[in-house]
Amino acid sequence: MINSVRNTVLAIINKNNYGYISPSDFNLFAKQAQLDLFDEYFINYNQQINEENARISGTGYADITLGYEEVIDTFSITSTLTQNAGNIYYLPSASTTGTDYYLLNTVNCFNGGVYQGEAEKVSNNKIKLLTNSILTAPSTLYPAYTQQGDSITVYPSSYNGATDVQGVYIRYPKDPKWTYVTLYGGEPLFDQTQNDYQDFELPLDDSNNLVARILQYAGISIREADVFQFGQIEEQQQNQTNT
Amino acid sequence: MAYLNQKKYYTNDGVNPTDTNWGSYQYVSLQDIIANFELMYDGNHSLVNNENRYKILFHAKRAIQELNYDAFKEIKALELTVYDDLRFVLPSDYVNWVKLYLFQGNTLRELTENIQVQSAVSYIQTATATFTYDTGNNVNTEESDLDKTRKSGALNSIYLNQNNEADVNGNCVDCEDDIYNSRIGARYGLNTETANINPTFTIDKKAGVINFDSTMANRQCVLQYISDGMENGNNSEIQVNKLFEDYVYAYIQYAILNSKFGVQEYIVNRAKKNKQALLRNAKIRLSNIHPSRLLMNMRGEDKWIK
Repeated sequence: MINSVRNTVLAIINKNNYGYISPSDFNLFAKQAQLDLFDEYFINYNQQINEENARISGTGYADITLGYEEVIDTFSITSTLTQNAGNIYYLPSASTTGTDYYLLNTVNCFNGGVYQGEAEKVSNNKIKLLTNSILTAPSTLYPAYTQQGDSITVYPSSYNGATDVQGVYIRYPKDPKWTYVTLYGGEPLFDQTQNDYQDFELPLDDSNNLVARILQYAGISIREADVFQFGQIEEQQQNQTNT
Repeated sequence: MAYLNQKKYYTNDGVNPTDTNWGSYQYVSLQDIIANFELMYDGNHSLVNNENRYKILFHAKRAIQELNYDAFKEIKALELTVYDDLRFVLPSDYVNWVKLYLFQGNTLRELTENIQVQSAVSYIQTATATFTYDTGNNVNTEESDLDKTRKSGALNSIYLNQNNEADVNGNCVDCEDDIYNSRIGARYGLNTETANINPTFTIDKKAGVINFDSTMANRQCVLQYISDGMENGNNSEIQVNKLFEDYVYAYIQYAILNSKFGVQEYIVNRAKKNKQALLRNAKIRLSNIHPSRLLMNMRGEDKWIK
């Protein structure tokens, strides 16, 4: 998808000889555009839930929420969290679980490999009250955790094994990278066999939005207001069609 | 939790205690209640939304506690020997007592609560009636004369049990066998509220003990009591009768909606009515009123009362 997006972007920009985007610039804009759209999925998902509650959304093919969930779930990762010390575990990151997390969905607790319960996130100003409560103190069946910096502290402290805590989280999309090997007729030739090649991870129907968003960044970069406005209008039209 | 197969139910697959699953089908565990509530009543399209699980857990436990106080008929019993200190320490999960028995001669005799004070704290007083204080500025105390007298057996009582059976009826020679010398009608004008030959007791809730009179020394006592169903904080053992399952969901829903800002009053009222109706239903179901039981009671109507 990344090559067709780039070709479309270049075609629009080159139409009136507005300028040229180098592969490295394109990759930067592509990354930014993908993150923007990725972030919007969560906002749109919430908006769609509200519409469902207002009974202005349908089911079956009209189930827009399902589509959003499917896209978000493609970024879902389940991984054992790396132990820091005792009942403190590192949050998912490139150095511990291999990928940075956008949203920590659930934290599951295990004892000897046997699932015990899902830990609930509790704010730091409530945790003391909770641990001192007779009825609701964190227990092996109903654990809790708080977040400090790059780590979480799991309660009760009996969860202190290296494989006791597992995180289910939504990772960030990987940085897209349009790769090439050589120049052909003065132009870099697309080569997806490169080791660092990375396509967009968003679904195909987002290509229009990606083009529009990249055009906005490119328009600012080459100081062409027309390109920026074109990208903006394209995106607005796309959004109106979707809603 | 998955259904048990019959072998697991009857034998626990040979793992001790093998009777652990007997009767378990009557109950639904706290774990299931919380999971079911989160799945069915909590979420983006439900009345209850964006609530912490610990709040759901709290209200679920409160519902179970309330049910244990009066609706359930889950009465626990504990037998202990009362020694010379004439006290029975309340069980660790005690909330309120139902009945207290003296177990003697293979018979359970229901004991009467003594309406008089049986135990008191005594401050040490000087000759001028002033108190003495310790280094922490607290009043020095000692065992009260009331306690000493009660434990020694010298405390006179408005009840009949300070004397032996023969003293109750002076003409009684062999009270158990001789019907002509029985105690029937022997004490005219007796206060029937306090007329009881058995030992009496008073519950000191603050001290966590049941105090008896001296006639209870070295005798077996059986306490029937109710708990709050919290199983000493072991969440995996907390359970509730299935007849009350729907009520617990309704209670949690009502409790959350009632304490949440911005919920319309009609929704709160609807939840409240639902909760109350389900409690009534469950109580009726648990009372086991059915024709065959009524028939058994009505058979007694033809019995001659001599």
